Amino acid sequence: MSERRPYRRPMQPHWWANPPYRAYTLRELSGVAVAIYGAVLFAGLISLARGPESFDAYLGFLRSPLSLLLHLLLLAAVLFHVVTWFQTLPKTMPKVIVDGKQVPPQTITQIATLAAGACSLILLLFTLWVAR
Amino acid sequence: MPEAAIAEKTVELRILRYRPASDAEPSFGSFEVPCTDDMSVLQALQTIKDTLDGTLSFRWSCRMAVCGSCGMMINGKPRLACNSFLRHLPPGPVTIEPLNNFPIERDLVVTVGDFVKKIESIYPYIIPKEPKTVADGPYLQTPAQLAAYESFSDCINCMLCYAACPQFGENPNFIGPGAMALLQRYNGDSRDGGQQKRLDTIHGEDGVWSCTAVGICSEVCPKHVDPANAVNQNKTNSAFDFFLRFLRPGGAR
Repeated sequence: MSERRPYRRPMQPHWWANPPYRAYTLRELSGVAVAIYGAVLFAGLISLARGPESFDAYLGFLRSPLSLLLHLLLLAAVLFHVVTWFQTLPKTMPKVIVDGKQVPPQTITQIATLAAGACSLILLLFTLWVAR
Repeated sequence: MPEAAIAEKTVELRILRYRPASDAEPSFGSFEVPCTDDMSVLQALQTIKDTLDGTLSFRWSCRMAVCGSCGMMINGKPRLACNSFLRHLPPGPVTIEPLNNFPIERDLVVTVGDFVKKIESIYPYIIPKEPKTVADGPYLQTPAQLAAYESFSDCINCMLCYAACPQFGENPNFIGPGAMALLQRYNGDSRDGGQQKRLDTIHGEDGVWSCTAVGICSEVCPKHVDPANAVNQNKTNSAFDFFLRFLRPGGAR
């Protein structure tokens, strides 16, 4: 007679809060900061459509200490998201083969991070040039 | 005698035991094992089985990280017992459990049936693009074409990636990293023409879409197969297939 009685252990309820999964959870959570950034910009667009008074109120909010603090926190979270996202990038794309050899994941991360940094810098310089 | 000096050193192994005939649920048992500097966790388990408790059950075969039999949780991390050396582990008791996310059959032995079914489901063989006879000669491949899939062919089916995957833990029907690495081994092969057939098996939540790119599967892989890459490449393929299937002859169903 078979004694088989497979025992299924339950998942740890807070696996996402403990290593090695904590880094993943923080990366995904920082995506929320990107969404909030988008929402702030979208609110500006709606204020602009509503008229000058509404847009002035929006600009007033942006200048408030609360908004500055929020933006500081969001900037930190988004920078974290950028760095960790490009660390994940090589896992999400097809292997790049050059001269019959696979390009190392670290190289892809470095190139992509530099490209994103360069794009951000160009956008910043362009905005400053337009606003001068 | 130096032998006496060697035998003085011991290590404590805390092992999760489960004997289905007598135990309602698993519980830890402790063993004090004489150890040497060159001893692997597998050797420590074999010492227990040979000298302390012959009923201890665990799988092993090659002792050199090739067969993929001796995967277990060592101090909470999925690892092969044969290439985990006691001297590399922090001092103090070593905790050994069966692989996470799998039903326990007995002691450190887990159920592998579901995993084998998943492997079978993805057509794990080359389906030739153009059938050839022996007289037509071999299928040729350039080094670049080999490099496109080679790392995925290194998988030894040890299931450490499944033990590391919280999404497999939440959804045991998720096809999981190991089977996807094998799928990519064939789909990425220039001689293979079975891509569509395999893609049809991996749509939906039980296919690639349970994966949330946690990525620990690739970190624990003893053969550097990078199964996370295999899963995520095929999310792209699955998404393309969803949108482009109407353009394929006979594709829209």
